[in-house]
This record gives sequence, structure tokens and C-alpha cells, in this order.
Amino acid sequence: MSKKKAEGTNLLYQLISEARAYDDVIVMGRGDPDFDTPAHIVAAAKNAMVNHHSDYTPPEGLLALREAIAERVKRVNNINVDPATEVVVTNGGQEALFLMVLAVLAPGDEMIVPEPNYNTYADSLAFAGGVKVEVQTYAEDDFRADPADVRAAISDRSRALLLVSPNNPAASVISPGDMKEMLGIAIEKDLMILADDIYDLFVYDDFEHLSPASLPGGKERTLTLNALSKAYSMTGWRLGWVVGPADLMARVRELKAAISGGASVISQHAGIAALTGPQDAVEMMAEAYRRRRRLVLDALDAMGIKYGLPQGGQFVFADISFTGMDSGDVAQRILTEQHVLAYPGSAFSKDRKDYLRMTFLQPEAQLIEGLERMKVAMRDIMAER
Amino acid sequence: MAAKTKADTLARHQANTALKATLPPQIGRHDKDLSADGMISPLDERIIAAAADALETGQTHYVDVPGIAPLRAALADYLTSSHGAHYEAENIIVTAGVQESRFLSIQMIGAAYDSIGIPAVAHPGVQKALGVRARTVVALAADAKRGFLPSPAAIVDALENGCRLLYLESPSRLSGAAYTDEDLSIIRAALREHEAMAIWDQGLAPWVDGTFSSLASFEEAPSLAATIGEAWPGMGLASWFIGYIAAPADQIPAMQSQKQIMAICTSTAAQYAALEAANLFEDARAQRLAQLSRLRSDIIDAADALNLEVIAGDALNIVALRASEAAAAKLRSAGFDYADGASFGAPAVIRLSVNRSTTNALAALR
Repeated sequence: MSKKKAEGTNLLYQLISEARAYDDVIVMGRGDPDFDTPAHIVAAAKNAMVNHHSDYTPPEGLLALREAIAERVKRVNNINVDPATEVVVTNGGQEALFLMVLAVLAPGDEMIVPEPNYNTYADSLAFAGGVKVEVQTYAEDDFRADPADVRAAISDRSRALLLVSPNNPAASVISPGDMKEMLGIAIEKDLMILADDIYDLFVYDDFEHLSPASLPGGKERTLTLNALSKAYSMTGWRLGWVVGPADLMARVRELKAAISGGASVISQHAGIAALTGPQDAVEMMAEAYRRRRRLVLDALDAMGIKYGLPQGGQFVFADISFTGMDSGDVAQRILTEQHVLAYPGSAFSKDRKDYLRMTFLQPEAQLIEGLERMKVAMRDIMAER
Repeated sequence: MAAKTKADTLARHQANTALKATLPPQIGRHDKDLSADGMISPLDERIIAAAADALETGQTHYVDVPGIAPLRAALADYLTSSHGAHYEAENIIVTAGVQESRFLSIQMIGAAYDSIGIPAVAHPGVQKALGVRARTVVALAADAKRGFLPSPAAIVDALENGCRLLYLESPSRLSGAAYTDEDLSIIRAALREHEAMAIWDQGLAPWVDGTFSSLASFEEAPSLAATIGEAWPGMGLASWFIGYIAAPADQIPAMQSQKQIMAICTSTAAQYAALEAANLFEDARAQRLAQLSRLRSDIIDAADALNLEVIAGDALNIVALRASEAAAAKLRSAGFDYADGASFGAPAVIRLSVNRSTTNALAALR
């Protein structure tokens, strides 16, 4: 099978697979923090193995964890939820995303999706038989989704509006003003909102994250996901959640039971420790990402590569249109020739063949080396033109 | 307020009875809970050490979508050594439990077929998996005389009528009854003749004392059967949710891609724990089988004394009984939970886990 035939998620996995073959690879693609899970969380898991390995866990998760999640979304997102009926624990943010889409969208239903966006939304929507209606955003606007464009995209088949903030891969943050306007449109046009808050702790400069479910009239029409993967460096534990109004969450719970039954009890006990224990490791990681972001942006500036300012998240979406090449081909060359893994924009959106997503989830020395190698690859590409 | 859109969503949900099927718990919730699919078992300290060591040495990140390589190899080895299967590590996907195995196999293999033959009596997780995205179902008749396994004749009939994908449980998740070699010869021949395929749930196979005949043991199984189950049950990992799919090579990409879409990978702690469980399983299983055999024998004696009909079964970890509503009510009032056969498709049957509390449950019926 030709490598160029892979698209979307399959393209990313093809690149990941090749990257494994290189001992000296520098990974600036996958959203997997380089930090290991904080020690007190691992210790809690070990304790749970001794004392709680055979605890029954319902499909929606242990009540103690749901209580911790309810406290967290109140504290961080100002969303009030009842842990008994309005929280479902999931196998990571990915399952949460899949459940939200399945809970709301039926075959033929349209979801308004600001583009570019995380490719799995399109995959999940395809599974559900739904239709993606794209609203384009642009680097020169720092990938701001304009509420007027959202309004214009609505049809009589529109059922939901996807709001990922900070956005993946574009790293834009929906401003409080725009968020209020988006919610107003959703109320006026009777749309459900799927909110993805997974990067809510990683917002830079003076930008501000606001959850739509925290606004008046927001909660009853909004499902909100989050996970421990990014904030606590717990990608391998597969632990996330969906919160929302009890009536919709009953559906999410049934879907969770149908798809995977429950989340690993040991991960759940680790999750309780993460959410209720010391938070200094989260602060430390957030500070590291702030420094690394600056480092990457400075390097891109030095190379003359344009980008939409990453207002949040753990990556930058860089414009490589100057190469005249498809981002899939550029990513392939950078990987094969320089052993640096970056994700092609085309994997996120067919209209983003001019972009690369680069994460800053490596130690600074690694990032510097990766950017140097990327510079060489770009120079070689340009020399051939 | 979210008016019509939300109301429509909720109405759709309300109408989806398959999605609302009640799943048995993965493990007993209290001392008198006899409804669980799995059993409470001690967790060997070597398993704890292996999982903890993995976590402490940084195995806290994403791993390969289909599972860590040594676990996939261990599962392939297990299926070969225990069931004479012919799968390679590349045929294995590690799942977040057997329900995810059901969902992925039914939905993704099923997507390539017009219909799927499902036993009229099957684990409610099958109905739930179908409830997420409806498929055309051909019901395979199943009755108590055969332990609720569809007869080979019923299976052949479905294949002759155009059904090209079957979902089969052996042992039955309700009765524990398992297909014989003779049954499987007929089923296998029919699958070959019609170029059909089977999803084969043999999750309860470890609890069959003696010979268990597996569809996976046929030489061509890697092309005609996707085998699913729990990874090393009875090792204390029931609540860790770890299972597997062993499937034909051409079916792996679609399931792997869907696994990525809905979970990225399976919990690393669970995978490393399962890897160590693989080393300890055979000894632990032998001990557990001896215990279960004694307990189940006592339970059947007690049932006979009460003139309760025991549905024929081969798996020692469960026992299915015909039970009137009055008898079921008596169990409930005594505080016992049981798996209701109605949720499997067999009303007036109850399934009890075999453990030290089961004889007490029957005593409550006196």
C-alpha cells in the first residue's frame, strides 16, 4: 500500500509507526507529555492494587472519582454538576469525545465544526453517520472562529456545535465574548454544544478560557469533556470524563456501558489521587510548557515561518505554504530525513495541507535539536525548488 | 432551554431498547451478589509488582493502539497452547475488557456484512453493542435443552439463507454450555462452504473442566473466526477491564482504527498486570477449577433437593436454573442478586455465580 494513500488518523499512525524505527527520533507530533505521571499518583495506584483491585466499578465510574471530578469542574470551569447523575468516567478524553458525539448526533444530523479541528471528531461523526459542516478559521486571525460564520453555517439539519477551546491543532482559545455569542446562537438555533476543555489548564499570556456550560442557559444543552492525560501527564492511564445535564448523561452512561463497560479501577483510584492530591506538578508542567512555547515560537520566527499564535494548548500550527508541498509530504520528509516527527495539517483537515502541528512536549534541549533539524529539512526542501 | 433538539435526542434514546439492556456487573458488588460476569479473586503480589514496576519506570504514556507487543504475543501464545489456535501476535488487539471486544468486533467486522446472526439467548452486552449502531440481525434459535446454544442445524440454516457473519458464545454466557467437537465440525464446514465468518466469544472457556472445543483451534480459524474474551480471568483483574480480540489479519486494520478513534489504547497498568498474569495463569486456574468443581457440585445437589431444574452447562463458574418469579422474589428478599435470564433472552431463568454464597442462596429458597 502506498504511504501517500493514508489520510487523517491513519496517516498519523503511519508516521508514528515509522518514527519508532529511529533511535534518535524527536517527537514533536503526538500529544503525549514527556513528563512521567507524578509519583504520588503512581503510589496511589500501587496502593489501590493492594487494597482496591477487586472493587466493583459501575460503568459511570466510582462515586469518589465522580465527586472529585465534580469538585474540579466547579473549581476550574465553574460548572455545577451532581456527581451522582451528571458525571461519567471514560477511557480517556478520546472515549469521552466518542461518547459525546454518539449521544447527540444521529445519521444525517449536522454538527458545526470550526476548522481545523482534532481529526477524531470527524472519525466519530462518521461512525455516528453525522455530517460535518465546517466553519473555516485562519492563521491571520489566530484561528478565531467567528460567531457570524457559525451562524451562517446553520441549516435545518444542524443539531450540534463543537467548541474545542483551546483548539487542537490550531491552539486558539475562544474568548469569553465569543463564547457568550456562540452560546447565544446555540440557544437561538436550538443546538446542542459539545465542549472539549481538555487543554483548559494550558492558556497563555492574557487569554482566558471559559466553559460554555458555566454560562446561564449553557449547562442544559452542553456536554463537556476533559481528561487527566494532558494536565497530569497520564496519557497511558486512559482516564477522562463527560459532564452534562442528567437527562443527556443517562444516555452517555448507556453508551459507555455498551462500548467498554467501565474504566479500569486502578486508573480510577489514580485519578482520585490526581484530582484531590497536591497540584504542584501540574503547575510545574504548565510553567515548562510556557517556556517551551516561547522557545518554539522564537525558533519559528527565526526561520521566518508564520503561525497562528498559540493562545493555549501544547502545540503550534505552523504555515509551511512557502514549501509549495503538501504537509503530508513535508512531514514525511522531515521524519525520514531528519528523524523529527511533526503532524501534517492535512491529517486534521483536508484544507490544511499547508500546515504542520508541532507539539512542545519534549525537554528544551530536544526541542532545540528538533527545530535545528527541521531547519535543515526546510532548507533542503527549498533548495530543490 | 434546549427544546426540540434535546427532546428528539432523548426520545431517540428512550426508544433504543437494545442500548438499555442491563449488563451484569463485572464483579460481585457485595457478599450476596451472584450476578457478576467475573469472580473476585486475589491479586498475586507478583502481578502487583509487575504493574507497579512498569508505572514507576515511566510506562505511563500512550502505547500502541493494539496493545504492547509482549502482551499481544502472550495472548497469541495462550490461545495456541490452551486452545490450539493459530493466531500470531499481529492478529491480536488488546481491549479495555470483553465488552469493548464485543463492540469492536460486532460493529467493525459487522460493517462488512449485510447481517449478523446472533443467538436468541446471548450476553446482554451483545444487544448493547448492537444498540449503538443498529445492524440487521438474524436470530439464531436457542433453547434450554442445548444450554441455550444455537444448534448447528440452526446455524447452517442461517448460513444457507444468506447470513455470512455469526456471533457465537461457547461456553454460553448464561448457562456455561459449550459446543462439542462434533458440533464445531458441522459449524466449521458450513462456514467454509458459505465463505462466512464467526465472532467467537470463548471468554468462559477457562472454567470448563476437561476438554473445551474451540473454533479457534481449526487450522483456518485465523481466516474465519475472530475470537474474543477476557484476558486471563480469575487472576484478580476483572475490575481492570482487560480483554482481547484475535482476528483474521484483514479484519485487524478496521478494528485497530476504531480502537484508536474511541480509546487510543488500553490502560498500561492493566496491560503490564495482564502480562504477568499470563505467567501465573495455569497454576492459578487449576486451583480455582478444583474449588469451583466442589462448590458447583454442592450447588447442583442443593438445586436437585429443591426440584429446581439446572440448565446443562460446562463452565464451572456459573450455574443457570429455571426459577419461577416466586423463587426469584424469594432470592431478592433474602438479599441475593442474580443475573436475570430475561436480559439474555431467556425469561424464567436465573444465572448464579458459583462461590461460597451460592449454596446459601439456594438455602434461602427452601
